[in-house]
Amino acid sequence: MSATARYVFAVARGLRAEDLTGTAGLHGAPLRVVEQGGLSAVVCDVDLAEFGEQPLIDNLEDLTWVERTARTHNEVVWRVAGCATCAPLRLVTVCSDDDSVRAKVDALRADLDEVLDRVEGRQEWSLKVLVPRRPAEELATAPSTMSGTDYLRRKREAAEQRRGQGEDAARAAHELDEVARAHAVASRRLAPQDPRLSGRSEAMVLNAAYLVQADAHEPFRTAVLTASERHRDVSVELDGPWPPYSFAVLG
Amino acid sequence: MTVTASTETTVSTGASQVSLVDLLDRLLGTGVVLAGDVVISLAGVDLVEIRLNALLTSVRADMARPGRRTP
Repeated sequence: MSATARYVFAVARGLRAEDLTGTAGLHGAPLRVVEQGGLSAVVCDVDLAEFGEQPLIDNLEDLTWVERTARTHNEVVWRVAGCATCAPLRLVTVCSDDDSVRAKVDALRADLDEVLDRVEGRQEWSLKVLVPRRPAEELATAPSTMSGTDYLRRKREAAEQRRGQGEDAARAAHELDEVARAHAVASRRLAPQDPRLSGRSEAMVLNAAYLVQADAHEPFRTAVLTASERHRDVSVELDGPWPPYSFAVLG
Repeated sequence: MTVTASTETTVSTGASQVSLVDLLDRLLGTGVVLAGDVVISLAGVDLVEIRLNALLTSVRADMARPGRRTP
């Protein structure tokens, strides 16, 4: 058997080891809790042949591997967040042994406390606003009998329409973000998703995360959906509640 | 207003149907960065961003493969 290390999923407060019964780690490895000073690091053993430095360089290039790892990571975080206050760790955090996990939790203690205080009793919502790309079909189907002047006029009109659409979308994004923030305790802008990765043809004009108090989920959801009714020319995607990933950032 | 583009509002909940790109949005850019023993000797915080560029390439190749679900 080759050497193993500890994959760390999350650090939690108020977690009992039995809360994790029935949830497995990577490759079905049992989850364990490493306790340090009242905090619980949720770990599983991983093989260094897969999670060592050089294998990781290769594996992070492999989308199937990344997806499998990310889904397991997410499942474990959901489980932990469902029964304790949870600070999720970034994907592929690997420590050499339990002592190293304890030392790192100790070293980051003040920051971890701050994160856990921030996310306690709160969850995250994702809000995306997308605007469809209009095909330039009107010009493409212009009759060949159209005069040069008409063609230029139609081209100018199409450009104005596109500009107007962009302003409408920006206004929609701004208003939806304001409504969401009014019902959240914190918000964070994420980078718009790359259309190559998302496979979406629409342009993403807003990709934001909102930290919402447990008893405010329904008002938050209702307010955003009501506001989206006023902006029928954009697509609105509301997703949640998630564990508070975007708000578990140190510092 | 002359814009007649299609519109939709979607709401989803739960871990199961999350797309990979939404998952990576949350698992890569965010979360507590606890410098692990293995990753720390790589490019540290920037590791995942660097890798993500490479990922984009593999996504294209992946989507071109027949029988694959589009993310």
